[in-house]
Order: sequence, then structure tokens, then C-alpha cells
Amino acid sequence: MEQKIAISIDDLTVAYNYKPVLWDIDLQIPEGVLMAIVGPNGAGKSTLLKSVLDIIKPLAGSVTVYGKPYKKQRHLVAYVPQKGSVDWDFPTTALDVVMMGTYGALGWIKRPGQAQKKQALEALEKVGMLPFQNRQISQLSGGQQQRIFLARALVQNAAIYFMDEPFQGVDATTEKAIIQILKELRKAGKTVIVVHHDLQTVPEYFDWVTFLNVKKIATGPVAQIFNDDNLTKTYGINYKTSIVE
Amino acid sequence: MSNAQIEIQLILSLVAVACALPGVFLVLRKMALISDAISHSILPGIVVGFFITHDLASPLLILMATLTGVLTVVLVEYIQKTGLVKEDTAIGLVFPSLFSLGVILIARNAGDVHLDVDAVLLGEVAFAPFDRWMYNGMDMGPKSLWMMGGILTMTITLLSLFYKELKVATFDAGLAASLGFAPMAIHYGLMTVSSVTTVGAFDAIGAILVVAFMIVPAACVYLLTNNLKKLLIFSSLLGIFASISGYWLAHAMDTSIAGTIATVLGLIFFLVYLFAPNRGYISQWYKEKQQKTEVALLVFLLHLANHEDEMERNSNHLQEHINWSHQLARKVLKLANQNNMIEIENEIISLTPKGLEFTEQAISYITDNKNSELEGIKQNYFLFRG
Ligand SMILES: Nc1ncnc2c1ncn2[C@@H]1O[C@H](COP(=O)(O)OP(=O)(O)OP(=O)(O)O)[C@@H](O)[C@H]1O
Ligand SMILES: [Mg+2]
Repeated sequence: MEQKIAISIDDLTVAYNYKPVLWDIDLQIPEGVLMAIVGPNGAGKSTLLKSVLDIIKPLAGSVTVYGKPYKKQRHLVAYVPQKGSVDWDFPTTALDVVMMGTYGALGWIKRPGQAQKKQALEALEKVGMLPFQNRQISQLSGGQQQRIFLARALVQNAAIYFMDEPFQGVDATTEKAIIQILKELRKAGKTVIVVHHDLQTVPEYFDWVTFLNVKKIATGPVAQIFNDDNLTKTYGINYKTSIVE
Repeated sequence: MSNAQIEIQLILSLVAVACALPGVFLVLRKMALISDAISHSILPGIVVGFFITHDLASPLLILMATLTGVLTVVLVEYIQKTGLVKEDTAIGLVFPSLFSLGVILIARNAGDVHLDVDAVLLGEVAFAPFDRWMYNGMDMGPKSLWMMGGILTMTITLLSLFYKELKVATFDAGLAASLGFAPMAIHYGLMTVSSVTTVGAFDAIGAILVVAFMIVPAACVYLLTNNLKKLLIFSSLLGIFASISGYWLAHAMDTSIAGTIATVLGLIFFLVYLFAPNRGYISQWYKEKQQKTEVALLVFLLHLANHEDEMERNSNHLQEHINWSHQLARKVLKLANQNNMIEIENEIISLTPKGLEFTEQAISYITDNKNSELEGIKQNYFLFRG
């Protein structure tokens, strides 16, 4: 059966200050996969997400979401940035941050109301953060902040979810809770793309994987391509001994 | 109060609010320096505008000066983007150049223009009531009052229209961009509003006070609240309070109004910085001290848990074993006792069941480092509270 392509990236090259950090990336992401993007620090994983989401302009190449440019498909895509990319001392509450997920559907100028608040509360409930709704965000633990970000993405009610290291700095319980939610999303037919650092858990959590280090090394089903060969190509060290079953 | 006095206080209050609102976002975006840069680099725009119009309140002058302000931001960002220097360096490169360009322009044409650098930097609000707007022979009031009223109306309108966009773009520019809220456009919108406000206010109160009004109230209230709306409202109120109290203080001491207000603002900040309940210096210092004692307590409890030997747990020997000052040892002992974590019998100290439980949880936190909730453990055991 021919699978529908959710995201198609063609010949994408991205540079900061004229130094390319992503080089000629071709990547097709099939609909309904739970995909890990792996690669060393500075490999360009976050940059790849940002260029798909129109946050940075690529030097060359194009990205389409279900066959159309991202600009026309924003409502289909939700985004969880790397936790360190925002200022957690910002004067606002957990509930308010989750409400930001509804802003896209609202569009310019319109203010969020009761309906948006209800959606946000439901999402908080789903990630187990309802009791913390009125907490100032700097007074949440790292794992709780990550759950808030996840709730904000859930509120966007998208077809495709991009998450930049959602397991960063969370304890084992939170990690299990988050992966549970991601698996539920996939079951509901959504496409979930996760930048992931813990190679040990890739086979357990994901069904699809992309190896990235400035160039795309490989992409495909975990069962077929998650092997020492690709890991070595990506990380530059021999992985035979590092990964133990 | 004379009419002029009321007018001066009104103008000051309008400027205070018009500055505080964009100022809050500048502070949140860690761009306080930019307002300083804008306030100086608008000078050449003002001078050239003044050559053309000979009127400090003319719309053309305001437009030109505002453009110079935005140009400053563009130049700073351009230099920063080359990756050769950091943002503060870029700011330091741009605004002195533009400012000195203005100074040179004034100096070369000193004969033709009634404009001097002091007036631009310090302003003289006491004269503002004399520059009046006459319409069909009718006295409409001071020009500055109208100008600042107009600018404030514009700011409040924009803020209430784009509050949500401004908030999300300030908190998380990446999300804002992915949602299609054009954070760059919002950024330049904020820069334009800041420039217009600076230009409109400099004639009355001077560039220095503009910077103080933009940054200080926001920085103060930021230490006191966790709510963006409150931050906006109370920064505005604080600006008004400093204006009026500063005005009367200057009146009483017969000194510069702008200077006194800036000093009042500085003093208020100093007090808030010291005494703010959570983020203030004293409360931070106190918290740090508590943390040190907490760690000491933990070390002490671990020691007790580790040693069966009664000799090691004799209160007379403990001090030398752990090698603490008498003072610290006593403090820790008292804290442990107060929290019912230890019991002392014949000078032998042992852990109570509660003390043991706490120690075990703390050890598991330290060793697997998976549980990010040390705060929770501390709260469960009421350290420093009972
Ligand atoms: N705003 C920026 N300006 C200049 N260089 C940047 C910028 N952002 C990222 N880079 C550089 O681009 C490269 C890729 O960065 P990116 O953040 O995409 O890596 P990453 O794979 O997400 O790394 P990590 O695992 O550390 O999150 C790095 O070399 C980084 O230094
Ligand atoms: Mg990254």
C-alpha cells in the first residue's frame, strides 16, 4: 500500500552567517509515523525543525506539508521548541502558556475566551498538570515545564507534531507519561517527529528514524535502519560496543 | 496649584505611561540598552528635521527622528548578524556614531538653530506649558500635552489590539513564527513605537528621562509580580507616582525636575531590589543561606545514617569528626532537633524514623538524580517551617 507523505523536504540547505549547518537534505516523512531525529550536538536537528516551521529561511530548497507550502498548512502543524529556547522567568502562568497553543487558530487580533480556556484545561489534564494551572512558570520543575509545552502542542490539535527534545531533563515517570501520549497521538493517525538524544530508547519508543549530521545519513523504519553502521556514520565513533542490549 | 503646574504634572504622567508600556516589553526582551541607543541616535534626525521645519513639534521632524531610531535598530541587527561582534558591542558602535553626527550638525550650524545638545538630553519640562497650540486664535493647551496624549492613545490602541501577539512573540518567538505571527514585524512595531515615544517626549523631558521612564518602572515591578497585565498596569502607576513626587521634590528643592524624577526612580528601584519578597537581594541572600544550612543538615544526617558506632555519634566528638565550626554545628543540631529528625540520649545522637526516611529519600535523589523534585521532599518534611 502506498503511504501518504506528510512532510516532504527537498534539497534543503540552511546557513547561519553563510556557514551551512544543513546540507542538501532530502527527506520524506510518511503520514502516521512516530519518528526520531538523532544526531550529535550541533548536527542541525533543531535547525531542521525550524526551517520546516518557517522560523528560519533556508538558503535553498523547499518544504511541503501534505503537498502544499507550510504557510498554507500552519493549522496542521504543532511545535514544541527546545525547553531552553524560552525565558521561564517570563511573568505568566502554566495555563496561560498552554492557551498560547490556541492563538494560531484564533488568528490576528482576536482574543482567547472561554472556549480556548476549556481546551487548555483539557490539555493540562491530559498531561497531569491541572493542579499547577495557576503556577508561575519559573516555579515549575524542568519536567513540569516540559509537560506544559506538550500540553500547548496538544491544544493546537494538529495533524503533525514537531518536538525538540521533549525528554530533556525529565524523570523516568514523566518520560513514560510523555511517550504514552505520543503513542496515543500516533494511534489517532497523527504524525509525530521528535528530536531525541537517548539512543538506547529509540527502538522501544519509535517506529521510524532519521539520522542527521549536517547531511542526512539515513531515514526509514527503525527495524531496518537502526544499526551500528548508521550510528557510526552519524556519530563518527564505533557503536558496536557502546550500545548494549 | 497653578495651571502651569497641573499641566506639567499631566505631561509628565502621560510621558511616564507612554514610556512604561513599551518599556515593559523591552525589559522582558532584555533590550533595555536599545532604548538608550534610540534616545541618543535620534539626534541627527531631530537636527535635520529642525533645519527643514524650524519646529520641534512638526510631524515631519517626528517622522525623520523616528526613522533614525528604527535605523539604529536595523544597523545594530545588521552588524550583529555578521557574527563578528555581540549585540552590546554593536549597540556601542552604532549610537555614539549617530549621536556625534547630530552633535557635529548642531555645532556646524549653531548660528541658525536654537537647539543644543543639553536641551535634547535633559529637556526642560518647566518650559513645556509655554509652548502652546493656538487653533483659530484659541488656546488649546501645551503642544507637548497633545503630542504625548496622541502617542499614548496610539500605544494603548496598538497594545490592546496586538496584546496576544506581542506576548507570544516575546515569550516564544519560535512558536510565534510557526503560528504565523511574524515576530520580526512585531519586533519592528515595538521598535517604532519606542522611537516615536522617545522623539515625542524628548522635547519636554529630555532623552535621559525617557530611558529612565522606559526601563526603571518595568524593572522594579518585574521583581514584584508574575503577571504580565499587572506588570503593565503597575509600571505605569509607578511612573506616574515618580513623576508627581519627583516634581514636588524638585519644586521644594528648586532643582531640575527631570533629574529629580530620575533620582526618585533610581531610589525606588534600589529599595525594590533590596526588599522584593522573592527576587529581591535580601530574600535571595536569605534563601542561599538556608540552602547552605540545608546541605549541612543533609551531610550531618548522612553521617549519622552511615555510622553505627556510638563513638562517631557522640555529640562531643561530632564536631571534630565533621570538622565544622561550633556555630554551624549548633545550628544544624538545632534544626535537626526542631524537625524531629534526631534524638539525643546520653550525648549519643541517633536518627528518628522520620530522620531516616528523609535521609533515604535524599540519598536516592542524589544518587539517581532522576527525581527532579527535591523541593517536594523538602516541603514534605517542613524544613525551616516547624
Ligand atoms: N542563531 C544561530 N546563529 C548562528 N549559528 C547557529 C544559530 N543556531 C544554531 N547555530 C549553529 O548551527 C549548528 C546547528 O545547530 P542546531 O541547534 O540545529 O543543532 P542541534 O542538532 O539541534 O544541536 P543540539 O543537540 O545541541 O540541540 C550549530 O553548529 C550551531 O552552533
Ligand atoms: Mg537542538
